[in-house]
Amino acid sequence: MKIEMKVLLTAAVIGAFSLSGCASTMQYGDAGSAKPLTTEFGSSDLQQIAEAMVDSMITFPPMVEMTASRRPVVSVDKVKNKTMQHIDTESVTDSIRTRLIRSGKFRFIDRTTDAQTIEELKTQQDSGLVDKKTAVDFGQQIGAEFLLTSNLSEIKQKAGSTTDVYYKFTMSLKNLKTGILEWSDEKEIRKVFKRGTFGG
Amino acid sequence: MKQKLSRNVIVAGMAAVAIAALLGLAGCSTTAGVEATGKTTWDEQGARSLEKNVVFNNSGLKGDIQIVDIKSAMAGDVMRTQATLRSKDKDTLPFQYRFEWYDGSGLEINSGAGSWKPLILYGREAKTIQAVAPDSRAREFKLKIREPD
Repeated sequence: MKIEMKVLLTAAVIGAFSLSGCASTMQYGDAGSAKPLTTEFGSSDLQQIAEAMVDSMITFPPMVEMTASRRPVVSVDKVKNKTMQHIDTESVTDSIRTRLIRSGKFRFIDRTTDAQTIEELKTQQDSGLVDKKTAVDFGQQIGAEFLLTSNLSEIKQKAGSTTDVYYKFTMSLKNLKTGILEWSDEKEIRKVFKRGTFGG
Repeated sequence: MKQKLSRNVIVAGMAAVAIAALLGLAGCSTTAGVEATGKTTWDEQGARSLEKNVVFNNSGLKGDIQIVDIKSAMAGDVMRTQATLRSKDKDTLPFQYRFEWYDGSGLEINSGAGSWKPLILYGREAKTIQAVAPDSRAREFKLKIREPD
């Protein structure tokens, strides 16, 4: 009888765990969720960086003044990734560029699609398929006035069961003619992971 | 004997459900939180004013956090806002917040694009959080604060 009760109790506990979350589930998550899973660079870090940079840039007084009457043309440089992680840094600059374009204050040129552009212009000029009056000529694109450059670095510290990772993203807007940095800002993020006694 | 065994099975089943419910409750947190709104308007003289409104949807959070002040200004033609939050607790508390922006007709700008940002308030600390509207159409914002999910 006693053994029977033990078996039942074990079954109850196992049943409880399976009901409460051991079973596999699949669902949509919030794309804007700020729940960190690891100390690695995550989606929320990317969103925080993009928002901080854009907010800072479009409210910086000389930028406000400059963009009041015109929309300067900017080119984006690749992020120098100095972390030990593989991060799709183009995705970070894409987010920043998208937000800046949508703010209506800046215009951008995209050097990553130049190969396709040349291909298209060649077809328009040389294939004989396109009406010469509507064909786009070479050498008419607008040169960028500014270059947006950025750095991502990390400092990782580990002591016992605690991992502490500090990220710093620095971004600058360089005037290509004068070489002067017209704007610069940085965003810091700290993530701390403490390994639990039972955690894997 | 057989009847007793089946009764035991029922008891065990009920116990399982009860434990599951407890675990389930412990594992999830409420997402409803504080909502603060601010709407900017201009009078006939062109003076700018901000209508403010704060709603607490979560009594637990109401005991933890206080919205001391909401301010707003224009950077060129883009609306900026700042909220001052104060922790009522003596311990360090984590929160999440996000801003949503609405145009003059009350339509959300870049609907659903905002992300939650982490915020840490030390015991009885007051801290400001700032945000900038995505573009010049914004006239109204909504600040949402909640406990981390």
